[in-house]
Amino acid sequence: MDTRHLLIIIKKEFRGLMNERTILLAVLLQLFIAMFSSFLMVGLTSMYDPSSLSQYSGYQYGIGYAGNDSPLLDYFQASPDFKVYRMDLSEGIEALKERKLAAVVYVPDTLPDAQIPVKITLYTLQNDIQAAIVDVKLKDIFLKYEANLRQVRAGRLNELPVPVQIPPTQGGDFYEFVYGLLIPLLVFMPAIIASALVIDLITEEYQHGTLETLISTPVTFEEMVWGKVLACELLVPIQAAAWLILLMVNGIPIQNPHLILLNVIITSFIIILIGAIAALHYRERTAAQFIFSTALVVVILFSLAIPANPLNLLARLAVGTAGIEQWFVLGATGLIVIVLGYVTHRYAEKIGREHHIG
Amino acid sequence: MGTLTDISTIARWEVKKSFTMMSRDILPIAVILFVLLVIVTGFTAQSGIHLQDGIYVVGVDDPKIASLFASDARFSVYQLDDQTLLANQNTFDLIVINGHVYPGVTDKAKSALLTVSRDYSQYLNSVYNNENDLFAAYPLWIDSEPVKSELTFLSTQSGQYVQAAPGRATPVPQGTVQNVPTPSPTLALSQDQLRQQLITSSAKTSSLSRYTKTLTPQPSMGAFVTPSQLSPPLPFDSIILIFVFIFPLYFTSQFFMMSIMNERIERKGEILLSTPIKTSSIIIGKLLPYFLGMLAICTVLSVYIKASPIIILPLIPVIFFFLASALMIGMLSRSFKELSFVSIFFSTVATSYLFFPSIFANVHVISLISPLTLIVYTIQGTTWTVTDYLYSTSLFWLTGAVLFFIAAKNFKEERLFSEKPLLVRAREFLYETFSRKHPFVSLFLIAGFSIPFVFMVEMMCLVLFFNIPMPYSLITLLVFAAFIEEMAKAVGIYAIFSSDPAFLSWKNLLAACAAIAIGFLIGEKLLLFVTLAQISESVFGSVLFLSLSALWLPLLLHFVGVAIVACSLKFWGRKGLMIGLVIATTIHCLYNLYFILGVL
Repeated sequence: MDTRHLLIIIKKEFRGLMNERTILLAVLLQLFIAMFSSFLMVGLTSMYDPSSLSQYSGYQYGIGYAGNDSPLLDYFQASPDFKVYRMDLSEGIEALKERKLAAVVYVPDTLPDAQIPVKITLYTLQNDIQAAIVDVKLKDIFLKYEANLRQVRAGRLNELPVPVQIPPTQGGDFYEFVYGLLIPLLVFMPAIIASALVIDLITEEYQHGTLETLISTPVTFEEMVWGKVLACELLVPIQAAAWLILLMVNGIPIQNPHLILLNVIITSFIIILIGAIAALHYRERTAAQFIFSTALVVVILFSLAIPANPLNLLARLAVGTAGIEQWFVLGATGLIVIVLGYVTHRYAEKIGREHHIG
Repeated sequence: MGTLTDISTIARWEVKKSFTMMSRDILPIAVILFVLLVIVTGFTAQSGIHLQDGIYVVGVDDPKIASLFASDARFSVYQLDDQTLLANQNTFDLIVINGHVYPGVTDKAKSALLTVSRDYSQYLNSVYNNENDLFAAYPLWIDSEPVKSELTFLSTQSGQYVQAAPGRATPVPQGTVQNVPTPSPTLALSQDQLRQQLITSSAKTSSLSRYTKTLTPQPSMGAFVTPSQLSPPLPFDSIILIFVFIFPLYFTSQFFMMSIMNERIERKGEILLSTPIKTSSIIIGKLLPYFLGMLAICTVLSVYIKASPIIILPLIPVIFFFLASALMIGMLSRSFKELSFVSIFFSTVATSYLFFPSIFANVHVISLISPLTLIVYTIQGTTWTVTDYLYSTSLFWLTGAVLFFIAAKNFKEERLFSEKPLLVRAREFLYETFSRKHPFVSLFLIAGFSIPFVFMVEMMCLVLFFNIPMPYSLITLLVFAAFIEEMAKAVGIYAIFSSDPAFLSWKNLLAACAAIAIGFLIGEKLLLFVTLAQISESVFGSVLFLSLSALWLPLLLHFVGVAIVACSLKFWGRKGLMIGLVIATTIHCLYNLYFILGVL
């Protein structure tokens, strides 16, 4: 293996990518998804937790209360989120239709300790974002009322659960989505793009018939393969780092960015090498891509099923809970890379010899 | 008759070709991989998805509570005594002392608290579900009654509060009050039926079944829920639909793309083109197997998840659009790399267009711009109307048809086998559709048919900017919409100018601008009339489609915009495009602003 030859191949591939300018699309893509993730953050958080947006905090929703008196009425009156009006059911619903109220509740005259449950009827607007917000706030009030009724009927229960007092929760619904799903996927996406690219680069030489010219230069077949693999691998940390920066700019703090990059570099080698082996074997893009993507699904599904998989490690690094065990995971990943690298090298050598003889 | 035979011959040929190509030791490996996939899926279903393991660290002083939380893999639980817990409070996301949860102050702690409270209520439910007296455990039931408001899209979209802030006095309705019957105080279901519902809905969900559950239609138990079940639908349910329905479609269209590309590389297409078979027959023939295959996949999937076969209807335009784009991408790209990048880019954009509106399914009408919402509805058992269908699929039908037309026009030797860059090729493709005899008619048509694409992009922007705080979202939308429209209008004139600069004499320039302006206006009017009435009524709509108020004003605006671009092309050559676009966009924005200020 000659480093100079490797560098020549890497440079050649980069020049090819730059000439086509399609790499710009990858950058655009990145921006596009970053915009969407901020859309998710701002949009959905505000939808499910309206108080997170300052404009919504301190806003009161009008509630029409019909039927019989109950502790529910007191809860509504005590709540800063609602302004409750006692009214006739039919009038309340008409006011709701005219959007003068956010919801109407009807409470029957069932006694708190009756054998049958208390069934309240809740009228809200259909297909409306605000109705969804009101639902979230109403839920808290109803839960309080449920606890109250449960207390009254506690004597009829056979088993009491372990008591845990939990303070009221606020927000936080999107933390898991962002750190536990979005970040691992986004940071890992460049690796998937790179492995699709390595298949393109290798099969292109076969299908465009440029292989013979390359083989006739002093560059050996293995050097050509490794050059292409490294060219693709180089793209991974660049893109992944861009992701991390974009996410941080979007206001999502990420811990241990350097360790995340290190992990992505090593893990991405696995799938890039699988891609290279598929391409060397089939020498034709459709077949190689097909087999590769199926294999990729198998590999990713399998690794997700094992505890402490590399993707989980990315999530833990991002939130800062990865302990000493991360180095074992990294070591195991490294071992797989070495084995795959060896296989790729031997396979390339074998094919290279065939080409020289043939 | 002859055309049909041609099509079926080509279709059979295409199937045979892909099978001979695939057979070369692909089949055995594919079978092995498939078996592996089944095994791995089983394994994953059993062991669960370990993606979020150990992201929270909690400290607990009671072994009972510790084991309660340890059953959730997201927690690393440490059982320590009170003193140590308090001393090291900062290293934990939350601590539990004497049955009281004390969370930290970070976002992560908030999220951990939320997870803890969900886990705990799940635990409570598992205890309460076994109670003999179900109505002692669940004493409160809520019957949700949706009410339809006459003021739907208009007021909610403006981003302002729907109701006036509640005042002191009880609100009095203005309209006539319809008598609403007093609801019955009893539940319509028996205790056992309710217990069954509680058990299914709170069955200890692994992370995998949490997703698969969304696919099987839930048994309809009426609208009775306990307070803890009262929450807006989880928005990420539609992610799973993307994977189940859209992913296989995207995958299959890849094969079609590759088949077109291979024909170009291996120059096999030349032989086919020299036969007397019509190009449209060649394209339809090549496409038919993929179309049928995709349809078959969807049918199998819908049978598998036991959904109503109606679910296929909104998928057909999506398939059509995917195939049209695949054909276009396969014809446009020069190399495999280009093909990969362009198709990844396309798939991401198309997926987000499908996915993002659909997370608002059940919540907001805007979700209807995605056919996926109709799929969500079908699975839920909600009915949708023909209008809904037209509304959410017309853009897919139209853009697909236009793409096919352009591709069919260009499906010939000199276009298929040229090695020029992507954008140049795209321009040439467009120029090819021009009629030499009636260039103005062509410009008129191109402007008219660019409308569905413009709407698609603008819809995308609408979804994107929908949630930026109010004044900014309007401004961004305003600028983007103006730019997109100016660009769409400029496309035709740019294509004609690049291929034939001499065409743009002053007289022709004016005529061309007029043709484009009229075409654009008519296209806009027509499509709005057919589909987008709902959105166009909102304030956002008035930014996008403002130009409909009077006829001659928007016509003048369109004319001025495209004339500016044409003139700058004439003065500065192809480099003038950007300058012209910027000036035209600015004028367009100012015009819109003037009217918006009047509107608001």
